[in-house]
Amino acid sequence: MLLGQAPVPRDIGVFEWLFDPNSWTGPDGILVSLANTVILCAVVVVVAIVTMVPLASWLAHTRRGEVSVSWTVTLSRAIPTFAVAGLLVPISLRSGWGFEPWPIFIALLLLALPPIFLNTYTAIQQVDPGVVDASRAMGYSETSVLVRVELALATSVMLAGVRVAAVTVVATEPIRAFLGGDGLGRYVRDGLGQNNDALVIAGAMLIAGLAGLTALSFRLVERFALPDGVRRLATTTTR
Amino acid sequence: MKVPVLRKLVVVLMALTVVLAACGDDSGSTADGPTIRVRGQAFSEAVTIAEVYGQYLQAKGYDVELLTPAGFRTEAIDGLRNDELDLIVDYIGGSLTALAPDAATSSDPDEVVAVIGPAYEEIGATLLDYSPAVDGDAFVVRGDSPASTISDVAELGYVFGASAQCYERPQCYLGYTDPAIYGITFADTVTIEFGPLLGEALAANEVDAVVWNTTAPQIIEQGFKVLQDDQGLHPAQNIAPIISSSVLAEYGDQLSDDLNELSAAISTEDLLAWNTETDIAKRESDDVATEWLEAEGLN
Repeated sequence: MLLGQAPVPRDIGVFEWLFDPNSWTGPDGILVSLANTVILCAVVVVVAIVTMVPLASWLAHTRRGEVSVSWTVTLSRAIPTFAVAGLLVPISLRSGWGFEPWPIFIALLLLALPPIFLNTYTAIQQVDPGVVDASRAMGYSETSVLVRVELALATSVMLAGVRVAAVTVVATEPIRAFLGGDGLGRYVRDGLGQNNDALVIAGAMLIAGLAGLTALSFRLVERFALPDGVRRLATTTTR
Repeated sequence: MKVPVLRKLVVVLMALTVVLAACGDDSGSTADGPTIRVRGQAFSEAVTIAEVYGQYLQAKGYDVELLTPAGFRTEAIDGLRNDELDLIVDYIGGSLTALAPDAATSSDPDEVVAVIGPAYEEIGATLLDYSPAVDGDAFVVRGDSPASTISDVAELGYVFGASAQCYERPQCYLGYTDPAIYGITFADTVTIEFGPLLGEALAANEVDAVVWNTTAPQIIEQGFKVLQDDQGLHPAQNIAPIISSSVLAEYGDQLSDDLNELSAAISTEDLLAWNTETDIAKRESDDVATEWLEAEGLN
């Protein structure tokens, strides 16, 4: 809440508020909230990729812990994000780390890890063993087998995992507004608290819009980031 | 063999009838009228208050149905209006905002009652005497703050924390910052869900002042202090029972006298003590209510 800013009137229309330039500017504006949300989500997804892709690739390449890995990942998907963040907030406050960013960061990270891990692991595991053996026979080192053959062939499924993680994180990040933070969720929070339906609906539309945009941009990345050979393979096999 | 069995059955049935009849009479009261349906709002203080009023009436011999607590003020008032409930207990300042959102609020309970009394009449309910017990807004700071009144905070450059509701209410954030009332300039503001998180944030120095309720047990427990509302900004929030007018008409003055006697006996300290029992010691509201009624000799 901007210091001294008048509250949003209750009888305002959803689009009247969304199309008012004043709603977008200033320290409480949509642009700042959007940036807060996007930055946090981006950091979470990047950290999840940086940690999970190497770990999952190595485990899958060496065929280690197949059963325990799938169980761990499946169970970790049952973690209630809001409860985790809610429990972490008092701990963080008592430790002097404040409301943000640790509790919400950890909660969102727990949400982002499983799809990225699982997709990377499965994708590499399911690469045709004939192809892997052939590359070994051609004299590829183990690293080359992993990076140039297995990871390359796994790209499409891996990117799908990243997309799922990113969309989930973006759609969940707004709980941060209920835990002493801001971001795009603030409009839903303020609207609920101030009995302002228009603000709640507009806030929900912004969140859904950002989640949709995230999904769309990852689809584009998936289309253009695939290695040429894999894309040709994908198009020939699907046809 | 058949006859003795039948005879036994008859005896048992007769015994049961006697017991049931005795139960009916056992209330030992002249109260005769419809069942009074009571439902508390869904937060611990309101649940205990509903238990206190419900158990008190039961002990006086009224036919009371204590429903599972649900909803908040809106649902309580709707329950009265739609004849789903007969007795609710609410904070008068809150009732004012719900029933007459455009009316000016006041820190004088009599002025508030003068507005909400007729408003309740319109939905077929009667507002009885308000209790001296108050659970209103509290401007809370850490124990080491030099301030003793809210006005003292004006120059301290405090970081302010409150729920989203507060930021749009003239009796809350808008009043604190209004130059004509308190004129406080806060260094920053944080929106925090109403509840124990307010205390956590205050204790962690994340904020320097929060708006809580006067009967939050954590205020004493964590060594905070409530600043005096020297400009009289906070509306009066005494608790008061509101009863369905038709039920009241059937029971007559006895019911209103009984309820008024109970309301007069409850103090703000009692509310605080109940909340400490339910929220800190994690005890059940109905036990807390029973014990209090016994201690006061009201059941």
